[in-house]
Amino acid sequence: MLWIALHLPLLSLETFAATLLNELAESALALVDAHHIVSANAAARALGVKPGLKRATALAIAPQITLGQADPARDAQALIAVAHTALAFTPSVVIEPAPADAAPHTVLLDVQMSLRYFGGLPALRQRLHAALAPLGHRLHTVSAATPLGAALLARVHRELDCADLDATRRALAQAPIWLLGPGRAHWEALQGMGLRTLADLGQVPRAGLARRFGEQVLSEFDRAMGQRPDPREPIALPPSFDTCLELFARADTGEQLLVGAAVLLTRLVAWLSAQHAFVRRFTLAMHHEQRSRRDAATPGVTTLAIALAEPSRDHAHLLVLLRERLAPLQLPAPTLELSLHAEDIVQRAPPNTELFPTPASEHEGLTRLIERLQARLGPEQVMRIAPVSDHRPERATVCRAADAQMRPVRAARASAPPADLLVRPVWLMQQPEPLAERDAGPLLDGQALRLLSGPERIETGWWDAGLVERDYYIAQQPGGALVWVYRARRPVAPQTPSWFLQGRFG
Amino acid sequence: MDRMPATLSAAAALAMPRQVLRPESLHPALWLGHQLGRHADSAVPSGFAPLDAQLPGRGWPRRALTELLLPHPGVGEIRLLAGSLVAAQQAGRLVMLFDPPVNLSAFALAALGFDVEQLLIINTRSRVIAGSDSLWALEQALKSGHVGAVLAWLPPRLRAERLRRLQLAAHAHDGPAFVLREMSAAQRPTAAPLRLALRAGGADVLAVRVLKRRGPPLEAPIKLELPPVLSEAARERVAAVAELHAATFVNLAA
Repeated sequence: MLWIALHLPLLSLETFAATLLNELAESALALVDAHHIVSANAAARALGVKPGLKRATALAIAPQITLGQADPARDAQALIAVAHTALAFTPSVVIEPAPADAAPHTVLLDVQMSLRYFGGLPALRQRLHAALAPLGHRLHTVSAATPLGAALLARVHRELDCADLDATRRALAQAPIWLLGPGRAHWEALQGMGLRTLADLGQVPRAGLARRFGEQVLSEFDRAMGQRPDPREPIALPPSFDTCLELFARADTGEQLLVGAAVLLTRLVAWLSAQHAFVRRFTLAMHHEQRSRRDAATPGVTTLAIALAEPSRDHAHLLVLLRERLAPLQLPAPTLELSLHAEDIVQRAPPNTELFPTPASEHEGLTRLIERLQARLGPEQVMRIAPVSDHRPERATVCRAADAQMRPVRAARASAPPADLLVRPVWLMQQPEPLAERDAGPLLDGQALRLLSGPERIETGWWDAGLVERDYYIAQQPGGALVWVYRARRPVAPQTPSWFLQGRFG
Repeated sequence: MDRMPATLSAAAALAMPRQVLRPESLHPALWLGHQLGRHADSAVPSGFAPLDAQLPGRGWPRRALTELLLPHPGVGEIRLLAGSLVAAQQAGRLVMLFDPPVNLSAFALAALGFDVEQLLIINTRSRVIAGSDSLWALEQALKSGHVGAVLAWLPPRLRAERLRRLQLAAHAHDGPAFVLREMSAAQRPTAAPLRLALRAGGADVLAVRVLKRRGPPLEAPIKLELPPVLSEAARERVAAVAELHAATFVNLAA
């Protein structure tokens, strides 16, 4: 057996910083629980704020410090994302139960079966680090032969490899005794007995230890040393994905929301990678602050549903889409909390990476381009046109919103135009433009048009109230350009114009 | 100071014995004033031999903007560009049209050889989006490099730096990129390496004036015979009428 323990020493601070805007996340931060500082980042420590101080004392020392409430639920969500990422490397991933007085900050991976596939421990460790990098946590990675041993060692060592049980035992022997959960409670007494390391603990009589400190110490010691079985229950992936993030400051603009949404998307991508899936649609919900209790008109939640033409788990692409959709959004009230829900996923093989552009990669890039354009401009602004069998020129072409998914980049069929196709101009006026008349002939821009060809009579549409009775001519402007004009055969009233400009030959 | 003549004569001595070094053979960006420039990428033939002969690289440039100035839509610009756009479609690539000024007729485009289903039309000016400009979409399409050919009608009185931005984005675009602008833009400089003015030169004839190219200036407009709209009979009739007009004019003058 070989276990890798991932310990995240700064998890609480990092998850808190993730809810802040970038510039604030770099400044002095500390977390408070029950009016006492429980953790502080490097900038805060430099100012003299350390764990154990009272909240008021910390504020007196460093008035500019940003204080946040410690939130085990928030940390647990972040840790789940780490565990999901780790699931890409082994099916048995365990979230190590916490010592009595702290949130769980350690994830265990049983990698014995994965070593060969990933090419050995160093390669696996490297890939693990690369996969976890987007989550932005500081990591301790320790491999050891027992799960508890790995978890304990990860809390004191940044990086350590114990190849077998003997090496694990040797490393544990050097470890301080307070690592054991009960050991911390009895720390004073143990120290008074001269027991400082686990090796010391192993040398004293077991019966006496059990009588004095309880069975718990021995049990934990034995499991760490591999002298007692230590079965673990691996985590299972939930069938649908839900995560949420409470924002530290109220977010008014899309840009502020995006900072939080990026964190949620990273977790989504981790969940997708764990099951080799791609998301087809997801929903971002923004929970608003109620301005006042009576203000029932303000909706409590704004949801933004994002459907993808091509299932994806590319964080950058999802973020770009979200940015385009958030930018024009008018929020009814400041946002306090974000949540992300995803259910509709597709499982398929990951795309091959390619060195040179191929039709497949171009297809994907094009889909993404169209998706981006649709997200920014609105889906109805990206259109295709299609011919319709109708003789009336204004109805012979329909525009419809293009679907990025049915985008056809296949080799175009060589479409030879039918020889008997009627002559039609490329440009068609939205509304036929009435023309002035002189000597019964049409004028365009004050100049007489010369009729070159025609008439072509179109008389149709009596069945759908769109009756047209027109004689079409191809006419030439004095400059030489060709236009398409018609004469209405039945002017409704004597004063109404009878000549109209229908199109231009582009 | 005293070393300079020596250097010069040394350079002259080096250059003298061989035949004259041809600068245009050194690098695609070098050419002599009386020659046409070349492009590193092969150009896209326009389908009109008289025009190709006057364009650097013998065709529409790739990875660069081609600016076309026209007085109004409908002088024959689609028939001029149809050849290169259809070629892009037949190579299996997408053609995008940005902000066409008037509605397009699917039948007419199909008659020109287009696969209408593969044309993507993008309206960027139908609503104003805060904090962005209408050229954003065009720039994205050019930058992505996945679009086969781009045809865009630019808003009037566009500032030169906006066009320069597009020209930079076009470096990533492997295909022709046409931007169509109003005639009065000819007064202002352009970042596009090729700029043509289009004008109707008669029925089914397009007069193309080359305003800017990598090469010597061209004074006379190029007359291009476009694929005809008029039938054979109609054209004969037009020609007869034109002769008649000319004859009348001569008679009157005499």
